[in-house]
Order: sequence, then C-alpha cells, then structure tokens
Amino acid sequence: MTLLEKKLKQKPKIWILNLIIFVAVIVLVGISFNGAQINWTRLEMAGYTLREMARQMTDINWEFLIGFGSYRFTEGISFLAIETLAIGFLGTLIGAILALPFGFLASKNISGKIGSRIGETLLVIIRVFPEIILGLILIKGFGMNAFTGVLVIGLHSIGMIGKLFAEMIDNMDRSPIEALDAVGASLLQKIRFAVLPQVAADFSSVALYRLDINVRSATILGVVGAGGLGTLITLAGQNANWNVLGMIMITIVITVILVDIVSAKLREKLL
Amino acid sequence: MKQFNLPSGAVIKKPFNKIWIVLGTLLVLVLFFSLFIFSRRPFFNLSVLGEILVKMFTPRQYQNWGDYFGYMLTLRGPLVETLSMAFGGTIIGSIIAIPVAVLSAKNITKIKWIRIPVRTFLNLYRTIPVMLLAILAVYLVGIGVLPGLMAITGFSFGIMAKMLFEIIETVDMSPYEALESTGATKTQAFVRAILPQVFPVYISYLIYIFEINVRASAIFGYFGAGGLGTVIVESAGQYYERVGATVILMLGVVLIIQFISNYARGKLQ
Repeated sequence: MTLLEKKLKQKPKIWILNLIIFVAVIVLVGISFNGAQINWTRLEMAGYTLREMARQMTDINWEFLIGFGSYRFTEGISFLAIETLAIGFLGTLIGAILALPFGFLASKNISGKIGSRIGETLLVIIRVFPEIILGLILIKGFGMNAFTGVLVIGLHSIGMIGKLFAEMIDNMDRSPIEALDAVGASLLQKIRFAVLPQVAADFSSVALYRLDINVRSATILGVVGAGGLGTLITLAGQNANWNVLGMIMITIVITVILVDIVSAKLREKLL
Repeated sequence: MKQFNLPSGAVIKKPFNKIWIVLGTLLVLVLFFSLFIFSRRPFFNLSVLGEILVKMFTPRQYQNWGDYFGYMLTLRGPLVETLSMAFGGTIIGSIIAIPVAVLSAKNITKIKWIRIPVRTFLNLYRTIPVMLLAILAVYLVGIGVLPGLMAITGFSFGIMAKMLFEIIETVDMSPYEALESTGATKTQAFVRAILPQVFPVYISYLIYIFEINVRASAIFGYFGAGGLGTVIVESAGQYYERVGATVILMLGVVLIIQFISNYARGKLQ
C-alpha cells in the first residue's frame, strides 16, 4: 500500500453521515405525501381543467382590465393595481420611518448590549408574525379598506428594515462618532452628522428592496379584505373565474416587473 | 442659497443639495398614492382592536389558562400538516430548481439563447403570487394537503432557482478550468469543482426557504389547502382565543426553526 492510498483510507468517513441524512430526507418527503389524500377523480380531470383554464385565461376583457366603457375606472383591474402599488409604497415608507427607532435600539453601537438584545427580540417577533394574521386583526380596527393594508405592510416591514439598519449601524466607521463625542455633541447631533451620512445610501437601497417585496405581498393582503388586487383574486378564485384570474395575473406580472426595474435602476444609482 | 465672499474676491456658492429633489418626489408620490388609499374612507375603532387583542391572548370566559394551552395540544394534526407541506415542498422545489439554475448561470451555460429565455421565464414566473398557485392547485387536485404542497413546491422552485444561479455565478472558476485541462469531462468538473463550493450555501438557503414556507402556509388555509391556516380561518370571527393560541404555536415553531437554522448555518459557513 502506498502512502497515498493510506492517506486516502484515513479520510474521515463523512459519506456515512451524508447517506443517513439523505435517506432521512427522502423518508420525510415520503411522509409529507402520506398525509395528502389524493383525489383521483380530480386528478383525472386535471388535463381537461388545465385546458379550460388556459382557454378562459387568454380571453381578455379590455374594458374590465383598464376600466372604461361599461365599467367605471374605479371598478377596473388597473385601478386595483394602482391601489396595490399605493399600499406597497406607503407601507414601505411608514415601515422605513418606524424602523429607524427600532434599528437604533437594536444596534450594539448605540444602545449597548442589553438594549440591543431587547431591540433584536422585538424585531424577530415582528418579522415572524405572519402578515395575513396581522391583517385579520387590524381589519377589525380600521375596516376593510386599503388603509389597513398600508398599516399591515408598514408594521411588518419594520422587522426586516430594522434588522438590516441595525447591522449597518454596527458595521459603520466609528471614528466620526468619537470625533463628535470629543467636541461635545448631543445624541441627536451625533445621529445627524455621524450616522445618517454613512448609512443613508444603504438604507435607501434596503427600503427599495423592501418595496419590491411589499408590492408583491400587497397583492395577497386583499384576501382578508385589506385592499388591493387580493379581494378580486379571492372572489374570482372561489367562483373559478379563470377569465378574471388570467387578467389579474397579467396585471401583477406587469406591475411587479415595473417596480423591479425601477427599484433596480435606483439602487444601482445609489451604490 | 448661501454665498461666501472670500477675501480673494472669489464667490463660493453652497451647492444645491439633491436631497430636496428626492424629498419632493417622495412627497408627490405620497400625495398621489394617498388619493387611491383614501378613496374608500377608513374608520378608526381602536377600542375594538384592543378588545380583540385581549380576547386573542387570554382564555375565553368560563375557561382557564389550562384550556388555552390545552387547545394548542389538539393542533398537532394541522401542525404536522403545515410542517410536512413546507418540508416536502421546499425539498422538491429546490431539487427541480437545480437544473434550471445551472441553465441560467452565465459561467456554466455559455449559449446565450438557452440562458436568456430560461432567465426571462424565471423572472416572469416569480412575479406570480403563491396564492394564485394555491388557487390553481386546489382546482386541479381538490382540497387538502396536496395543493398546499404543490403551491409551496412552485414557490420554492422560483426563489431557489434565482438564488442558486446567483451563487453559481459567483463561484471561483479556476478549479473547474484546472480539472478540464486535466481531461475531465464537463460533468466531472462540475461535480468536483463547482458543487463543493455551492453546496453549503445551497443548504443554508434551503433552510431559509423552509422557514419562509412555514409562515407562508398560514395563508393557504383560505383556499382549502390545509395546515394551521385552516384552523385560523375557521376560528377567526368567533373563537379569537383559538386564533391567538394558533398564532403563538406558529410563532414558537418558526422561532425554533430559526434557532436551528442559525445554528446550522453557523456550522456550514
């Protein structure tokens, strides 16, 4: 046996562990199908249903899509699309503003170890609280309208923007703060002249990224009645109205891609 | 605008700060969008909001905390449904994502007219909300866990394909070229040089997507796609304490997953 072969034999036998994990994952995926009672009659019809869906989806009613002729503008899909955009935009703005205090609280640089622990915990709780349930609760207080949607998106966005903001503050250059400390600046002055100039660009870029996400999630908030396209999606879904669902899908694709392009261009400019 | 007259006679103007353009644009957008938001007047009923919050997180009248937490134990079935939907969907979706990601990565697929259509398809596909996928799936295969599983598979596929091709593109290509120069085939070179670099990141994204999916499955209840979401939808309106208990259970599970995933990601990187 040459030295090379000996060394090869000494290699840790990690493949056994890998094999065990692999088999466990396969078994778990199998189990996850176990709970799924398969409705065979539906499955047999799936081909027909798909063809029917495709036929109805490609039949576009322009008057309803844009909102003219026999429909008022406020009844059309494009109005709802703008409403969705509005929910996403205003929600992001509110979220970004509310995220500032949370971010400061969660950063080790500004609020110390204990303060940052508290802030981080708060942010985690906000982040993992599902949007749709937040909507379900807020609906009772603010009614079934787009304003509730704005609040839901705003509150939910605090989680991510706040976390990233805290990380930015922790990673920034500390020397300007020390310099301002040395000349006796107050906390607000330190934030204005040492913190803001350093994080402004990154912060806007995070907010724009969040705008992307929020416009997407604004489309689903309507499920609980919080404005935007979602309400129509639910109604059309319950009635199997593929015609309307198809038009909504086209609208969402266009809206989201437009927001994507604009936010990507703006972020490029920032960085 | 401020001006400074220097002793040498030169005049220095303070440059126009671009921040005002940004703020102005923001203000115009806020006003424009507010028109749409307030086209239907909101109402403010904060006392009801407070009542509901209290109802959610305290036991019902004539019941005690034992009943409140005892209810959580009865949720084992839906919890297992949610977790298995999320798990199965994440794994299957992420596996389907691999070939698509390889096809759209610039450094592996050199042929432009394969890469660009695949990428365009991915970008278009990812704009479709999960909810629409869920509706379509429920109509195709009927109510139950299966449509939830399908919708999550579809969602995980979209997000993983994008993240994965971005990782593949940032990979160090020199080992790949070295292997090719020793006469290895493209597949061999890919398995030995690219995979080891990509795999840890892939697994950590997998855990991250699993986490998102557990939360996202809350909404599937609305369309009859099973899991904890169904419990929330059925109880909302009458049994607020059940909604509250379900939410606490869900948050607990998500936090545990997050804890495990942070630990695992720390080990992997």
